[in-house]
Amino acid sequence: MRLLVVGGVIAYRALFNWARPSMFVGTLLIGPLFQLLFFAYLGRQLGVADDTFYIVGNAVLSATLACVFGGTIAVSNERRWGTLGHVLLSPRPRTLIFLGRAIPYAGNGLLIAVFTLTAGSLLLGLRIPASALPGLVLTLAVGSLSCACFGLTLGALGLRFRDVWLISNVSLALMMLLTGVNVPAAHLPEWMRVVGGGLPITHAAEAARRLVAGDSLAAAGPALVREVTVGVAYAVVAAVLLKIFEAESRRRASLDTL
Amino acid sequence: MRLVRLVARGTLLHVKQMSRSQFEIATALFVPLVQATLAVYLFRAGSEPHRMLEAAVGAGMMAVWTSVLFGSGGAIQMQRWQGTLEMLMLSPRPPALLIFPITLATAVTGTYAMVATLLWGGLVYRIPLDIAHPLAFVVSVPAAILGLGMFGLLLASTFVLVPNANAVNNALEYPVWLVSGMLVPITVLPGWTGPIGAALPTTWAARAVRESVTGAGPVWPSLGICLAISAACLVAGAAVMSYVERRARANATLALA
Repeated sequence: MRLLVVGGVIAYRALFNWARPSMFVGTLLIGPLFQLLFFAYLGRQLGVADDTFYIVGNAVLSATLACVFGGTIAVSNERRWGTLGHVLLSPRPRTLIFLGRAIPYAGNGLLIAVFTLTAGSLLLGLRIPASALPGLVLTLAVGSLSCACFGLTLGALGLRFRDVWLISNVSLALMMLLTGVNVPAAHLPEWMRVVGGGLPITHAAEAARRLVAGDSLAAAGPALVREVTVGVAYAVVAAVLLKIFEAESRRRASLDTL
Repeated sequence: MRLVRLVARGTLLHVKQMSRSQFEIATALFVPLVQATLAVYLFRAGSEPHRMLEAAVGAGMMAVWTSVLFGSGGAIQMQRWQGTLEMLMLSPRPPALLIFPITLATAVTGTYAMVATLLWGGLVYRIPLDIAHPLAFVVSVPAAILGLGMFGLLLASTFVLVPNANAVNNALEYPVWLVSGMLVPITVLPGWTGPIGAALPTTWAARAVRESVTGAGPVWPSLGICLAISAACLVAGAAVMSYVERRARANATLALA
């Protein structure tokens, strides 16, 4: 437990170079809030969906920036700063070391999502029923954790591919399109809906919208379970990829090659 | 003439340099297409499917702004990281003339996004390229690119004074998309955003290109205002750049990242 939580927090403090106040506020708070406003006004103009759709959807999506990039940073910055070898020399289980790193980023994502939802609701006048708040926080936490596991999977690719930032940037852009956060899923082609179903956030956004609409946590439960499943799947994929790429890096003596 | 040659050669050099970066290429190739696809599905889902070409052009302009914002905002920092800032400042030319080609190059590489989104819309989503004023379109796009390149110099020179300019870059992408009316009409925004949008060359650039596509208004006044504001930005950027250079030389901080 200490390895998972304390190790994760120490790695977060050491590696997440966006944790400075100016970077945190500019990139992780202001950026997502304006993204929400952009799509809310566009949605209003086009009559695609109401403000609630965009406020809730973009609040859930706002966690992706910290979680996807955070997960990537958690692995690839070790390599960039020459400390990956030291981590892999440790006699502790790799899976725990790296999966623990997803936890602070998920917490970070939750904080950003709560801020974006609160600020977006205040600016655009959305009233969320008080009874929905506990379920909503749970949903945002699950979405953030699922997203952090996805980020860790991308970070694992950083052990194999040199420019993992490219993959992270493209993934974020695709999530905006495929998760049904900004375009209602009914208006997307079938194949995009299928791909979106396998991405984090998609089901969390659905659950959050149900809760804000006044549904009970039980009604939002199936979507939440699907989000948990997606998150667990990415955690497993990340663990497997980390093992494979670590073994390959040792065999090819390319562990610290940039 | 020598001035034009310097800017043209410099721009070509920096465009070539940017085209060697796998990250730049792939991001510039892929992300605008995703944004254009998002815009297409949003406009299709909404009440204005007839504005699809406008959506594609708007998505292209958004990508040009992104390229200018991140490329120009970090232009000087990038030269520092590459170890070429001292070489540039040693050159017997005003610093603004040496940095302007970099910011112009970021706008020129953003042109790809405009072409790509139009082709993507035409080939994949069968959006007819019925441009109301083709000649005005052909003139307004490069002029808008030039204008944004000039605006980029002001970004490059002022962002170097800001600690953590990356944070400012990341925070400015959506607000400028929004208040410039690149995809969302300015009329649906709160009234107080109007003067901010009117002071930005991005607003007039987007308006000129949109008017050339839709024929909804006279292109040339919008383009003229865009270039006038951009020229003012160029002059202000040059002044700030000279000040920054003198201060950096005096404090011996030129090469400090």
